[in-house]
Amino acid sequence: MAAFIARRLIFLIFVMFGVSILIFGLMLTFSPERRAAAFVTTPQMAKDIPVLIKKYGFDRPYHEQYFTWFRQVTSGNLGYSLVASRSVLEAFWYYFPITLELNLYAAPCIILFGIWMGTIAGRKPNSFFDHFSRIFSIVGWSLPTFLFALVLLMIFYGYFSWFPPGIVSDGFTMLVRDPARFNQITGMYTIDGILNGRPDVTFNALKHLVLPVITETIVICALLMRVMRSGMLEEMNKDYVITARAKGVDEKTICLKHARPNALIPVITIAGQLVASLMEGSIAVEIVFNRQGLGWWLASSATQLDMPVLMSMCLFMAMVFVLVNLVVDILYAYIDPRIRLS
Amino acid sequence: MKKSAFLLCFCLLITVADVSAKGTDTFVKATYGTVRTLDPACAYDTTSGMRLYNLYDRLVAFDGGSTQDFIPELAVDVPTVANGGISGDGKTYRFKIRKGVRFHDGSILTPEDVEYSFERGMICDQAGGPQWMILEALTGQGATRDGENKIIPGVFEKIVKAVEVEGGEVVFRLHAAYPPLMAILQYVSSSVINKKWAIATGCWDGKIENAAKYNNPDFNTEPLHKTENGTGPYVMKEWVPSNQFVFERFDGYWEKKPAIRTAIVKYVPEWTTRKLMLRNGDADQVDLDATYLPEVETMKDVTIHRFPLLDYSAAIFCQNINPAGNPDIGSGKLDGNGIPPDFFSDIHVRRAFSHSINWTAMKADVGNNLIELPGSPNCIGLPYYKEVPLHEYSQEKAAAEMKKAWAGKVWDKGFKMTITHNTGNALREAAAQMMAENIMELNPKFQIEVRNVDWKDYTVKYRQFSYPMFIIGWGADFPDPHNFLYTFMHSNGVYGKYAGFRDEEVDRLCNAGIKNVDPAKRREIYSKLQDRWHELAVGNTVYQKIGLKTYRSNVKGFVPNPMFDMSHEYLKNLYME
Repeated sequence: MAAFIARRLIFLIFVMFGVSILIFGLMLTFSPERRAAAFVTTPQMAKDIPVLIKKYGFDRPYHEQYFTWFRQVTSGNLGYSLVASRSVLEAFWYYFPITLELNLYAAPCIILFGIWMGTIAGRKPNSFFDHFSRIFSIVGWSLPTFLFALVLLMIFYGYFSWFPPGIVSDGFTMLVRDPARFNQITGMYTIDGILNGRPDVTFNALKHLVLPVITETIVICALLMRVMRSGMLEEMNKDYVITARAKGVDEKTICLKHARPNALIPVITIAGQLVASLMEGSIAVEIVFNRQGLGWWLASSATQLDMPVLMSMCLFMAMVFVLVNLVVDILYAYIDPRIRLS
Repeated sequence: MKKSAFLLCFCLLITVADVSAKGTDTFVKATYGTVRTLDPACAYDTTSGMRLYNLYDRLVAFDGGSTQDFIPELAVDVPTVANGGISGDGKTYRFKIRKGVRFHDGSILTPEDVEYSFERGMICDQAGGPQWMILEALTGQGATRDGENKIIPGVFEKIVKAVEVEGGEVVFRLHAAYPPLMAILQYVSSSVINKKWAIATGCWDGKIENAAKYNNPDFNTEPLHKTENGTGPYVMKEWVPSNQFVFERFDGYWEKKPAIRTAIVKYVPEWTTRKLMLRNGDADQVDLDATYLPEVETMKDVTIHRFPLLDYSAAIFCQNINPAGNPDIGSGKLDGNGIPPDFFSDIHVRRAFSHSINWTAMKADVGNNLIELPGSPNCIGLPYYKEVPLHEYSQEKAAAEMKKAWAGKVWDKGFKMTITHNTGNALREAAAQMMAENIMELNPKFQIEVRNVDWKDYTVKYRQFSYPMFIIGWGADFPDPHNFLYTFMHSNGVYGKYAGFRDEEVDRLCNAGIKNVDPAKRREIYSKLQDRWHELAVGNTVYQKIGLKTYRSNVKGFVPNPMFDMSHEYLKNLYME
């Protein structure tokens, strides 16, 4: 297992190298003039484009340009984000914990809820629950996230005043930003609250997470549920299930101990992709619930053509996908012992 | 058991709410504006201005809701001809400076700080910044650079001679009498900074031979972009761009201690979220566009202030678009996939767009009858206002103009471009959509996208000539037609310049208007300018706002002033019951 993980981590280096070449290659699809234009601030300056091309080395051979850029990136200089008004690295470490915290709670809910509903629906096809779950999945998948988030906000915050938007309540805002009173270790207040011995902060931050987590769960778990249901239906009709039934094994054991693990293989693949894509953040959830994280930053950067952010986020997402795939491969072996990590 | 545990957790989460409720000394404002810069020499937008009004003090301030009367702030008194503070010819102003005032770092304010603040601001003179006003008043030139962007010889010498400390007083020597000077002195660009601290932070070193080095700094690289050290009632506790800005009461403030201890300004671009925050008391004041007023009117415990406002928004046609890597003009050619950089230099194009706003719908449906539609930037409430007609809403006329544009090439080839507006502004978004849809209806070859941009980036990008057409507003710096007509129409005005608009007659009239003290002559000049706005279709009116300020009912102390829109807030005046 350790050798497998080590091999995959070495593989990660090659993947990142490949991705960096791909991203750089994409950047090269813009002409040197176009790239230099990013530094032009007035029409009068347009005549300075040849000077800017020289200054920033856009006319040098591609490999030289690549290594200059690569050196900058590996030394942690990812550039300056106009959208965030600070360096990309600094901004990343501000937005990343906000998105990560949401996903830490949303991802297990999505996976567990999807698997649970898919299992029951697949176990009892054409039952009331199956029909309900199918409608639920179609509605969840087709419902605009923005609309659903707004409806939840209006009901649970607007009407009941239970779950407010934001990250923590204003009563805690100054506390969590005061280094003398609160140590921001992870940047995730649900965890930092515990580490600082302030369960009230943790509870408050959790309260702000309820609606975003519900939104992401309902909207995203639909796909997972459908795959799980199909897998269960297929497994429940296989010979080994019929044999188990003939031997008098009870239905619950057949379902949970025999059929479900086998049906999980495709689910894990999809869950991995879903979790990885969650790390990009959800622009709709972040805007409606006022939690500006990576999704908001990425969307704003895309509309403002904030190139250093877009390139850095591509690298980050490549890394996330590779790591998630590694975890998925390990899980395969855990669920199905026939798969060997060699 | 599992169900019970789940229910217990759920109830616990709900009940924690009361523990975290904010007190009556914490004020929360939810807004869709974002701060561009905290450098008082460069900030020229209402959102940045709101922060600076609370972090810094100026020599004088408006007296409550008045736009003509002033009260002293860092000055001991307001100079007048009667008290000898203003010379008989109106060319010299003397200010005695208040003693014992402390900056946020604890140092004491001196008259030299005041002198330095003004000189540094004028030397800085960032492109598109606010310094043109004080430069025009003191040096007679509205800029430190000429049309070629070269420093005007001798301008820095003029600047340092114009502001002097004499006998413990700060003396301003004007080029000529300039009636709006006092209003300029209350504006954020006249904020007083600490000389020693500013030099240490990287501002002008006080030496005239080095002044050119500090002139026209790049956007977002201003030395005071992210830091402050004012004498104002609040200090900056935290600024997370596009997220939140936190003020904390300055306990060493020279005046009465403000009631609000902490003020948090949150960036909440989504209206529904802002509305619910107001309703639930999580926000004490929210940005409210007229479109959404009916949703707030029915709320309990909410007070809505309506007041006249000197605030005018228009669609600006840029006639000199920056083509370098600009996705908003497509191919950059009139080939059906873009527009050339000078697309809007053809008056027929500008007129076509001007005919494309349905004014009745704009006022009634979008603006809820809470907007005015003046025909020029000299909006209702300003001296010498004249009823100039709007371009009639007519698809036939718009089509006829488009057919004439660029000798018929626009109609034959079509075009593709973007209209931009700032994120969150519902009125501007509606106007942009209306224009885009109506123009696209004329000819299937016309393609227009509407794009919103975060405020702090928007105010930089239009100054880089990036947008072919952008909708933007102007709140009064001083209540005079010059402040609006110069801004929108003069080739060196903030919007005139970035629209690439130049008309010799307009420039001449603008310059004559401010130099003239005869009301009859001024009326004549400004009447001509207002007509010229319509004739040349320089820009297209979008609306003049009626001031709307929405607070929770327990927030008191707000004094409406036609000079300040909803983004403004004098925190020191507020208190909560």
